[in-house]
Parts: sequence; C-alpha cells; structure tokens
Amino acid sequence: MISTRSWRFRALAALLVVPVLIAAAACGGDDDDTNDTTTTPGAAAGFQVVDAWARATTNDVSAVYFTVKNPGTADRLVSITADVTENVQMHEVVTEGATSKMQEVAGGFEVPANGELVLSAGGYHIMLLDLKEPLKPGDDVHLELTFEHAGVIPLTAPVQAGEATGGMDDMPGMDHGSATAGH
Amino acid sequence: MNANRRLVVVVALFAIFAGLAAAACSGGDDDDDVPHIELGAPSAWQGVRVRPSLEKPDVTLTDTSGQPYNIRTETEGYVTLLYLGYTHCPDVCPTHMFDIATVLKGLDPAVADKVKVVFVTTDPDRDTPEAIRQWLDLFDTDFIGLTGPQDVLDGVEASLGMQNTTKTDLGGGNYAVNHAAYVMAYGTDDLSHLVYPAGITQDAYAHDIEKLVTKGWSEE
Repeated sequence: MISTRSWRFRALAALLVVPVLIAAAACGGDDDDTNDTTTTPGAAAGFQVVDAWARATTNDVSAVYFTVKNPGTADRLVSITADVTENVQMHEVVTEGATSKMQEVAGGFEVPANGELVLSAGGYHIMLLDLKEPLKPGDDVHLELTFEHAGVIPLTAPVQAGEATGGMDDMPGMDHGSATAGH
Repeated sequence: MNANRRLVVVVALFAIFAGLAAAACSGGDDDDDVPHIELGAPSAWQGVRVRPSLEKPDVTLTDTSGQPYNIRTETEGYVTLLYLGYTHCPDVCPTHMFDIATVLKGLDPAVADKVKVVFVTTDPDRDTPEAIRQWLDLFDTDFIGLTGPQDVLDGVEASLGMQNTTKTDLGGGNYAVNHAAYVMAYGTDDLSHLVYPAGITQDAYAHDIEKLVTKGWSEE
C-alpha cells in the first residue's frame, strides 16, 4: 500500500512536472510486467500485445483495454474489428473542469517508437457499441488490430468485471489476455 | 499504481481544481458557497478535500425496486459513497463501481456493513430501474441505484456544485453522457469532505472508507 504521504508527495510533485511526466509516458514508462507477454505476428515489428481484457456489461456498450509493446519504430493503430459487434471505435476520456467526456480519436492511436501504447481506464479505450449480446465474465472477445506498418494482429480479450489490478500492482494469479500467434 | 494511472489521477485533480476554480470565479461574491479543491495540502486522507463540504442531497428519487428513496434519510448513520453516472458508460463509471466493490469485499464485514453505495443515473432515458439493477449487480448486489425525472436529477447535480450533464453523439443513436467523474464520500455527519476522482486507487478508497467508518471525519 502506498502511504498517504508518499502518494500526496508524488501527486504534488507530478503536478508540478506534468509536462515531464507526459513526455516520460510517451517514451514508454517503466512498466515491467513482462511475464505474461506473448510474441505476436507483426513479427517484423516485434510487437507484443499484453494485458488484454474486455469489460463485462449488461447492455450494448463496453470497452476493451490492452498494451502494445513496441521495440521498434513508431507505428499507428488505425483500425479494429471485433467478433461481438461491427461498431468499434477508438476513444479517449478527456476531463474538462470537473466533467469527464469521451471522444473518438481521429486517426487512431499512436504507438511510440521503443515504447508502449497503453489503453487503460481514464485514458484510451476501444469502445464497443451496439453489442449483439451483453458481455459476460468468462466470455472472450476476439479482435483484429490493424497497424499502419505492422499489419494485422489478432487478439483475444477475456471478459472481466473490472481491471483486477485496478490500483493494486502485481496482483498474482491474474488471467491476462494475450495476442494469439498468427501468420 | 503504474505511471499511467498516476498521471490520470494528477490530471484529474488538476482538472477538477481548474474547473471548480473557474466555477468559483463565475460565482462572484458567493465564492464561499462554491466548492473548491485543496491541492497538495497535507492531509491524513487520500481523497481530495472539497471545501466547503458538500451536503448530502435531501432528495427523493426512485430505487431499483421502484420505491421512493430519500438519499439523506435512507443513508442516515452510514458512511455513504455517492456517485452520479450511467450504465452505458464504458470506462470511468464501471471502474469506480468495480474498485469500490472490490475494496468493500476486502474490508472487515463489520466495517463494510456500515457503508452504503448510492449510484444516481445521469441518463434516465436509458437507465430504467431494471437496467440499473442489472448493471450494479455486476459489482455488488447491495449497491443502491436511483433514477428520477431529468429536472430533479439536474437539481441534484446543481446542489453538489456539478455542471449539468451534456451528451456526445456517438452515431447510430448512441451517445455518451458527460458528467462529473468523482465519487463523494459522506461521513455519518451527512457531509462530504472528500471526493475521489477518476484514477484514484483501490488502496486510497480502502484507507479512507475504513477510517471514515472507524474514526469518523476529522481534518486529521
């Protein structure tokens, strides 16, 4: 558990250097959760897509999250298809004032060179609309991610009620989704 | 908490501060009545301090069994987490609900039993009582879900210092509801001194909920 003092200090310190943090995040951050990675096609690019999951829902709207690790040159995630709906959008959450709003990201998500594209709550997500059926925990969502240069990478995202690591790092025993090996 | 999530918290804090500060500016002489956020002040809490403290809404809405539910009287004596959101929300709302549910399951049941979680829809057109119940049951069957006429819901938002919600068209009849993204925590004094923006951690929730129940609100 992170202490109050530590958290506050970090929050304050981060606030004072937000531009620096943003730059650092763009450079790929310091995540080291490499245990659950699966090497994917996109072999030329050497992409790894890890920590995939889809959010359980009781209606026709949901979201998918994952992280793309890119050891090579910059690329762009330009489109996505899914087996659970034909209406897939790439969204970000933007907070203006005290209000959060969602908006589509024109042109897709950038995958920084030698870095990561991270989709997570409060930031980027893949928005699933007009779902044929509500997503239930235990289901799988099958997706195809199309990158500008790396081409198509298939991905399986297990359906969960939430991000089990939400705020608690390194929770053991998690069933992480991963990209499936392809051609 | 990874770097990404921490950044989200900071951005959210900064944005809330900026937004409420802007609201305070437009309030003219009534500045003292407009909530604002203290940033970076030393605190024994992990939520974000809100001043002045927010009153628990004395409003009667409809619960998921179709019965009238007065937020203030029904939750009297309980630590109460109040959140305004909508069930077609794919990201911020379910994250708060999931994190709170996970934290409550991990607390001593004697503590968790003293907490009520109240979800008020910002999307009454789509969120019928039944739809809210099904959605909340994904997280915790004890969570309370409320709806009401749009004008009454607008009044609740205004009383909490929130901007009224707006909608973003997502095409094909789909829309997102733009709304305040923080959870308010009320002590048994029926005042919320602390709010929890998007990106707050489960650890932060756990710390403050347990402390509110066992020690009650104080500045320290």
